[in-house]
Amino acid sequence: MIELKNLTKTFDRFTAVDHLNLRIETGEFFGLLGPNGAGKTTTIGMLSTLLLPSEGEVLIDGERLTRQNHRLKRKLSVITQEYSMRQDMTMDEIMEYQGKLYFMPLKTIRARSEELLEFCGLIDYRKRTVRKLSGGMKRKLMVCRALLTEPEILLLDEPTAGMDALARRQMWNLLKKLNGKNLTILLTTHYMEEAESLCDRVGLMYDGRLEETDSPRHMIEESGRYAVDLQTEEGLQSRYFHKKEDAIESLSSLNGETTLRSTTLEDVFLEKIGKHLESR
Amino acid sequence: MGILTVLWEKWVEFRRDFYKITLAAMIAPLMYILVFGLGVQTISHGQSYLDFLIPGVVALTTMNGSFNAIAQNLNVQRLYEKAFDQVMISPTPLWQFIAGQIIGGSLRGVYAGSVIILLVLPIGTNLRFNGWSFLIMFLNGAVFSTIGVVVSFYAKNHADVPRFSNYVIMPMAYLCNTFFSTENMPEPLHQIISLLPLSQTSGMMRKIAGGETWSFRGIVILLVYLVIFAGAASWFLYRKKNI
Repeated sequence: MIELKNLTKTFDRFTAVDHLNLRIETGEFFGLLGPNGAGKTTTIGMLSTLLLPSEGEVLIDGERLTRQNHRLKRKLSVITQEYSMRQDMTMDEIMEYQGKLYFMPLKTIRARSEELLEFCGLIDYRKRTVRKLSGGMKRKLMVCRALLTEPEILLLDEPTAGMDALARRQMWNLLKKLNGKNLTILLTTHYMEEAESLCDRVGLMYDGRLEETDSPRHMIEESGRYAVDLQTEEGLQSRYFHKKEDAIESLSSLNGETTLRSTTLEDVFLEKIGKHLESR
Repeated sequence: MGILTVLWEKWVEFRRDFYKITLAAMIAPLMYILVFGLGVQTISHGQSYLDFLIPGVVALTTMNGSFNAIAQNLNVQRLYEKAFDQVMISPTPLWQFIAGQIIGGSLRGVYAGSVIILLVLPIGTNLRFNGWSFLIMFLNGAVFSTIGVVVSFYAKNHADVPRFSNYVIMPMAYLCNTFFSTENMPEPLHQIISLLPLSQTSGMMRKIAGGETWSFRGIVILLVYLVIFAGAASWFLYRKKNI
């Protein structure tokens, strides 16, 4: 279980994360959503100890996470937003280095690396240096590296950024499978479809604050399961309805190009966070 | 043990770039020896200048070998590749990471210095290099690897490391009892320069090579530098709020 208690991070006078309180249960798949600059990556930074909180603390299974708490760090794996790998190492060397950093026996490192690289379709490129890999391959390698150490908690900061649609789907399937094995996952993403498809619960962040947390399904139901889009001169306008009949009635009363569809998490996000962005 | 992991990483790097590393270690020192030692043949302090020069060049090669092996590499890993993030996140104790960098860098310095010792063998000098010489080379390497770690941690961009080299390492290479004796310098300057780690290393190396008696004071001074800079590196890793 991960607990964030009053977690705050300030850079000079700028508050990137503002008294964040959050509890993520063991085996839960939690998504942190928010526009650029909301504080998602800073939160991951504090969870991975790259950044130390200005205030508050991170607890894992009731124990305080610090840079010196090696036992807790052993439970964590992080996939950062940027390709955090040595460019001049081969895939095999990257995996071996990671395993050694986590004090894994060499035999286990080699066996698990082979299994993971095979699973991600990278096995034929294992002798290739990171510099020579495509963006998608680097991302997959980062996933392999993170899973090598069999973590209990996986922190993912925009893991599918820059991936093509197929690779992204493969990644989703992999993450679902891992979550099924009781792995706790914290994901930050810009892709609402990704969060809707994967997460048990999501949190909407804005300006360093957590505005709301709930399951995607409940958030959608609260907004109204049916959406009517109207194309106007100002752009697309959407209205949300709880009952299908109300949506159809609205549709027939509107003039112009209209569409009836199911509400998505993106609609909820735009409704709740979009207001803040427009008022800026 | 985290130290062995870092040494393994350094070994991978060394194995891959063996020729580049070896050539880079040889070029400048060989030029110094060819130009100042063999080209401009002089006598210094009653001995052949070459005998004076070689221990100094070995000391400065150790310094450059160690500093360069760590500073630029770690700086790139931290600011550009972000590979350093994975070390921070991992359960490897950070002091072991620092110790691994220091030992790894130091060994690279000893390697570079040893290459020079081997290359000057055919010249046929009367110089002696023994176990103490190698221990001093190792300690000198350790000091400059640690400085490399500190510089790479505190650097704000890629240009900061070469800048530090230009302002600190390069002047030290010329002034610290390597190419000429500092005894004739104005007293305050002489006092300051003689306390610098490279001056101590050159002095001790030269005395051992010439079969003279030497004092352990230099080793103590090197150890003091090592502790101070290792402390600065540890502070950064354990206490710095934003890495």
